[in-house]
Amino acid sequence: MVDLSVNKGKLSLKNPIMTASGTFGYTDEFDDFIDVSRLGAVVTKAISLKPRSGNSWNRVIEVTSGMINSIGLENVGIEKFISDKLPVLESKNINFVMNLAGSGMDEYVELAKICEANKIGAVELNVSCPNVKSGCLEFGTDARTLGELVKSVRAEYSGCLIVKLTPNVTRIEDIALAAQESGADAVSAINTLKGLGMKLSFRNGKFTREQVIGGFSGMAVKPVALGVVNRLKQVLEIPIIGLGGIASMQDVLEFFAVGAEAVQIGTANFTTPDISERIIDELTEFMQNNGFETLDELKERLKS
Amino acid sequence: MTIEKHKKMNKGEVTLIERVANDMFLIKIKVAEDFVSHAGQFVSILCDNHTMRRPFSIMNFENQEMSVLFKKKGDGTAYIASLNIGDTVDFIGPNGNGFSVGQCIWDEKTLLVGAGVGVAPVFYLKKVLGDKARLIAGFQNANEIPSCLQSEIDFITTDDGSFGEKGSIIAYFEEQISAYKPERICVCGPHIVLKLVAETAKKHGIPCEVAMEKTMACSIGVCRGCVVTLNRNGKIDNASVCKDGPVFLGEEVVW
Repeated sequence: MVDLSVNKGKLSLKNPIMTASGTFGYTDEFDDFIDVSRLGAVVTKAISLKPRSGNSWNRVIEVTSGMINSIGLENVGIEKFISDKLPVLESKNINFVMNLAGSGMDEYVELAKICEANKIGAVELNVSCPNVKSGCLEFGTDARTLGELVKSVRAEYSGCLIVKLTPNVTRIEDIALAAQESGADAVSAINTLKGLGMKLSFRNGKFTREQVIGGFSGMAVKPVALGVVNRLKQVLEIPIIGLGGIASMQDVLEFFAVGAEAVQIGTANFTTPDISERIIDELTEFMQNNGFETLDELKERLKS
Repeated sequence: MTIEKHKKMNKGEVTLIERVANDMFLIKIKVAEDFVSHAGQFVSILCDNHTMRRPFSIMNFENQEMSVLFKKKGDGTAYIASLNIGDTVDFIGPNGNGFSVGQCIWDEKTLLVGAGVGVAPVFYLKKVLGDKARLIAGFQNANEIPSCLQSEIDFITTDDGSFGEKGSIIAYFEEQISAYKPERICVCGPHIVLKLVAETAKKHGIPCEVAMEKTMACSIGVCRGCVVTLNRNGKIDNASVCKDGPVFLGEEVVW
């Protein structure tokens, strides 16, 4: 029996395979495909203080080896999450991280207080959504503002505090260091890249344009994500959760090789809804067949 | 309209694939024995290395064979069109909720309206309802009419008059209502056709079910990529086409 657990400070997972925010709903939908309780953790869809209806129609478009989304953080709001979704997650024994999206400092602090009061074990601060006008992206692009935000949330929240970083900045190391110095327990990287997807067609002398401006994700972004994790590893002491384009066990190993302690599977959940459970099985089998007893052993070998 | 839950990742074998109109194809897929579907439900087919599966209404299901009618529009559908008999199709489904009338014993006279490739799910319903339904459909021209369905459609229009009546199906819709006197209307086609049919049905006080289409990323209700706005008893809310639909009551959709 191999030990897949991850224990790095407050980041404690039974295995390193998580699913990324916005790609796993509130998990009910995946009961048709996998045993969700087997996952290291599910990161919930972003939760805001009040319900959000999201952006208008035409929210997704496919691009080469990926997609663009502009959902706009549509969610039920924290009150409804706590009353309706939380009991379901708990009754099914699902490990989860709550992804929090505020529109200002006060809202993040308020969300943190609610999480503390409800004994939520881990939260991920969404300071990097590219699809909403005010709020969260500003926090993710300025080291000083982010530092203040993390400090304020830290003061109210004692669980595992993860900060999700945007790649859409000049020097991501500065932002990550600010999070670390302000009390974050881990960072997750990367959120989506800003992009524009377009489909043009020409009929009867007229062009029709289908277009979505938003967050670029999927297999095409993996090299960017690996590059970022590699850079962060040089400067950070807190654990890094790697994500961006992961669609196979091989991808997971690549993220471990550059220093990620755990990973999140995102867009691949759309293409292959049982991919996360498959990767857990493949990783277990790989370790068994090759004599690795713990995940740390595997990670150590990848570094050499 | 709740469908029994079960594992939805499926694989099937292509038993037939043929071009049935200009750029339109019929594919038949042999599916697992526990597969059950209703008219109006859809499947999302994995297209080689594409990130997003392509959603298609089920056109028929009999003898463990599922039929899908699709139009070759881009890379994804070109991939499906390139499949051969014996190839494996990886699909998720059946997804969503179908037409309510396809899922119970129904005595209402139902007028079924299809436009273009949207004829597929209403054809499925026609197979279920038999004599209790009348199927009318509009196409751009004679070359766009799927050969496999032509004799099954009770009334056909083409924009250029190359087959059947000349003009849009919308132009003949009220006339069809007066002649057939339906107690329910079910429609699938482009957004504008759905909107106009729903509005006309409402004017005549006839309940109308619309099968909608949107670009989908996940097709299982997770990503919120395919939402439409509904007004249910004055409460405005988003609904996902893939999970809450694709069939909605026309009067509830905020067009």
